Amino acid sequence: MKPIETRLARLARKGDQRAFAEIVDLYKDKLYHLAYRMMNNRQEAEDVVQESFLRVYKHLDRYDENQKFSTWIYRIATNLCIDRLRKRRPVYSLDAETDHEGLDGYAMLPSDERTPESEVILSETQRLIRDAIETLPVKYKSVMILRYLQDLSLQEISDVLDLPVTTIKTRVHRGREFMRKKLENKL
Amino acid sequence: MQKGMALNMECKAAIAYMHDYLDRELPREQTLELQKHLASCAECRTRLEALEKTDALMRTLASEKTPDDLTYRIMKSLPKSRNPRAWTTWVRRHPAMSAAAMFIVVMVSSFVAMWNQNQQLTVRGDLDHVVIQGHTVIVPAGQQVAGDLTVENGVAQVMGDVQGNLTVIDGNVTLASTAHIAGKVKTIDRAVDWAWYKVTSWFDTIAYGS
Ligand SMILES: [Zn+2]
Repeated sequence: MKPIETRLARLARKGDQRAFAEIVDLYKDKLYHLAYRMMNNRQEAEDVVQESFLRVYKHLDRYDENQKFSTWIYRIATNLCIDRLRKRRPVYSLDAETDHEGLDGYAMLPSDERTPESEVILSETQRLIRDAIETLPVKYKSVMILRYLQDLSLQEISDVLDLPVTTIKTRVHRGREFMRKKLENKL
Repeated sequence: MQKGMALNMECKAAIAYMHDYLDRELPREQTLELQKHLASCAECRTRLEALEKTDALMRTLASEKTPDDLTYRIMKSLPKSRNPRAWTTWVRRHPAMSAAAMFIVVMVSSFVAMWNQNQQLTVRGDLDHVVIQGHTVIVPAGQQVAGDLTVENGVAQVMGDVQGNLTVIDGNVTLASTAHIAGKVKTIDRAVDWAWYKVTSWFDTIAYGS
């Protein structure tokens, strides 16, 4: 018995629009959550989700059924986010052991996080975590979001990003230390 | 641990263990070693506590509410018909043709590559209400495009109204939540249609010798 997504993907490949709509329903929330935290912007998150599904739709024939469907779709969405982020933000690295406080000129970029409607429902703690995630450099941000928000295993993240598990592990460790430093004195 | 002070070897090893421990990957023997170190090192105890707290906090982060009509907009942004399987099924049923098919596909893809070169952005329609940035044609929120809008070799990003049909040739389209298209959304991939035409006509030639 094949997983449900594989069966839906087969139907969609034959032109069954309803099967594709079911795939959209299964993944849209996960992808939106992922994209929103990556981009920190509602409109861009939507664009990423729309484009991800469009790519999935166009490339259904290339989906390898030996691979988990979730891995494939996460890879498409994560890569789209990473590409967009690389285009818009200055490059800096956690590898050099510098203090990153205030290093992100990125905070100046427009974000809809602080609009009044969302402010009401955001608890202070949630806001602190979001802000801390927002300041993570892209390569750590993607790993941390997949690990903690999407609850993927280190192996799954390695499959999604096509990087060795040891690299993912190092990034989780550094990302966790980064988050600890950011959150420690505020909570 | 004072800021700026170098970590001693034992603490360094303990920190690496802490992370493996949080990943649930620390073997039993090393877990015991870590416990032993923690018993004698207050700084590492504080650090592990902070890391555990960070870990727990990260997991409490709430999901964003997905916009209600996202599925509808995603489905609407898809190209209308999708039937690329027809000829691959044909190839599978006719294995003898596979090599010839491969050759044709390679040949056709180089034509497609040529086709895709030097394609210029063309926009037809009510240009007063669109913004063009590079290869992206934007209908800003609140703007109304009178009649049909056609974008060739570019990306259409609609946040406002299009009062007619939206046609995108050799490009793609994203619709924002504020987008409203009175007519139909149509995307045409000319290069693919053309390649498809080439492939079928080749197969016809091979199959019927005409
Ligand atoms: Zn210690």
